[in-house]
Amino acid sequence: MIYVNDLRKEFKKAIKEPGLKGSVKALFSPKNEIVKAVDGISFHVPKGEMLGFIGPNGAGKSTVIKMLTGILTPTSGTCEINGFIPQKDRQRYVKEIGVVFGQRTQLWWDLALRETYAVLKEIYDVPDKEYKKRMEFLNEVLELDEFISSPVRTLSLGQRMRADIAASLLHNPKVLFLDEPTIGLDVVVKDNIRNAIQKINAEEGTTVILTTHDLADIELLCDRIVMIDKGKKVFDGQLNDLRHEFGQMRDLQFELISKSDISKLNYKADLKLSDEDVKIENEKSSVSVRFDSEKVSVEDILSYTLSKVHVKDINLKDADIEEIIRRLYRQEVSIDEV
Amino acid sequence: MKFKKFIRTYKPFTRAGMLESVQYRANFFCFLIGEIMSCFIMFFVWKAVFLSSDSETFMGFTMEDMVVYLFITFLTGYLTYSDGTYAIAMEIRDGSIAMRMIKPCSFDMCFLFQELGNKIINVLFIFAPLVLGVEAYRWAITGECQFQIQHFLLYVISLVLAYLISFYFNVSYGFMAFYLKNLWGADILKEVIINFLSGATIPLAFMPEILADVLGFLPFSSLSYTPVMIYMGMYSGMEILSRILMQIFWLCFMVVLSKIIWNHAVKRLCSQEG
Ligand SMILES: Nc1ncnc2c1ncn2[C@@H]1O[C@H](COP(=O)(O)OP(=O)(O)OP(=O)(O)O)[C@@H](O)[C@H]1O
Ligand SMILES: [Mg+2]
Repeated sequence: MIYVNDLRKEFKKAIKEPGLKGSVKALFSPKNEIVKAVDGISFHVPKGEMLGFIGPNGAGKSTVIKMLTGILTPTSGTCEINGFIPQKDRQRYVKEIGVVFGQRTQLWWDLALRETYAVLKEIYDVPDKEYKKRMEFLNEVLELDEFISSPVRTLSLGQRMRADIAASLLHNPKVLFLDEPTIGLDVVVKDNIRNAIQKINAEEGTTVILTTHDLADIELLCDRIVMIDKGKKVFDGQLNDLRHEFGQMRDLQFELISKSDISKLNYKADLKLSDEDVKIENEKSSVSVRFDSEKVSVEDILSYTLSKVHVKDINLKDADIEEIIRRLYRQEVSIDEV
Repeated sequence: MKFKKFIRTYKPFTRAGMLESVQYRANFFCFLIGEIMSCFIMFFVWKAVFLSSDSETFMGFTMEDMVVYLFITFLTGYLTYSDGTYAIAMEIRDGSIAMRMIKPCSFDMCFLFQELGNKIINVLFIFAPLVLGVEAYRWAITGECQFQIQHFLLYVISLVLAYLISFYFNVSYGFMAFYLKNLWGADILKEVIINFLSGATIPLAFMPEILADVLGFLPFSSLSYTPVMIYMGMYSGMEILSRILMQIFWLCFMVVLSKIIWNHAVKRLCSQEG
């Protein structure tokens, strides 16, 4: 369905020294720096899969999406979607895909939303019956009714995003590209949008590629994630694999009987652990210990704590996906471990 | 069927354009008053020119012709004005032009039909009053009705062609934002030059013959001078035909030019995006 092979994109960036002198210098002898935004990425997505792209800011996620949708031409490497090469057969290719860039609307600023959909119906050749059915569905999950007569420029961010998502689904695309579809939305709208994506994927077998910084999107929607950093792929697999690979972080919480006992606990010194390996948070009479289970076992932490203080309650939390990703982004875990 | 679909696709843009100009009506009237004032200023300037000359006519124009020329030139310029340069330059600057590439829809039609909506409102509000005013003036001065329906109809055809030329010229020019950093300064210069070259500032007939001939072949005279001369009945039948053919030629030229520039711009956009 989607084949991406050794995709690269380099941007030339003009280096400008600060100040007027720098500007003048740049005018006569412009210096360019090459930014490798995407640096050799390959993956394959079968039909009907939902793939999540994650990675820190500036990792190159949007650049990949732009190449897949044909907005940018790769510096080298290939991508093929549905048998199309996006840049080659643009007019026919874009009829088969839906695209949403969360940062920027693709709707016509001055048209009322209802008219926007009427125009899209014509340019995508959606038959009347299909159009009606689809509008009903989208209306139901995205609640477009409340603002369907307003011009797009008057919509709030959340309304606009719902409108954009609906617009990208109207023609029943085979592949849906979503670049940060839940950015800046409230919880309810996020839920609605996730619902819409999930339903479309389940009912029509739409292949979905999305990027996000909200890990809940990934947990709720994606079958698989690809993590990129500095233009390179650093992880490709199921969310559960990631959990297993980096699952050594554990969170133990103790509820103490007496608040004053807290001072008796000194994990770092007594167990000889570094700041990296263990993090302690105290709140009232509870202590939360987050530790690397490869460095120190659950048993050690437990027996140490029980030997020092009296405990009312114990709670062991599973590895938190957010913590794993945080460590990956900060490069506390190296790429080779993957 | 194809045509019907085409209209169905772009009609909403026209409606939005109409709504837009109705919404900014107050703005529009202020602007209009300013423009008409400047017409009157030009009127007094030319009146002084005529008073200081000995004969009734000046380079073949009577004072009455001059008045008609001024106001019809204003009307023509107003109706053929196109905002494409600005709109496209803005889209290039903020990068939203890229969004046009992921929709299977032609980039110029959305602009064109939205602007047509503006034009419809303009025609309703100023076309009729201005033409009536000019004709009333001519009647009052000469004592008989000068209005000729066939000239008027040919004028309308020529006006539509002039608008389309102007539209595609501005679209092409707007894409220059890809290549020029500051289009705004270049834009003001463009207006002044075009006003001069198109005969809107001074009738081409007043210029040295060689210059007038050269300008007659350039696209600019198609923008304003041709329709105005047709309205005034200054051309013979053959001349009208050749001038309109010339307009059609320039229209095709501009359409092709805008497509070439668009394709080139897309390539550039794809390799560097900005
Ligand atoms: N048009 C451009 N010209 C020059 N450099 C660019 C251009 N577009 C992107 N870049 C650079 O390429 C890198 C990747 O950018 P990209 O927008 O793909 O990141 P991202 O993963 O989407 O980040 P975010 O999470 O912040 O959206 C960045 O370093 C960015 O500065
Ligand atoms: Mg991005």
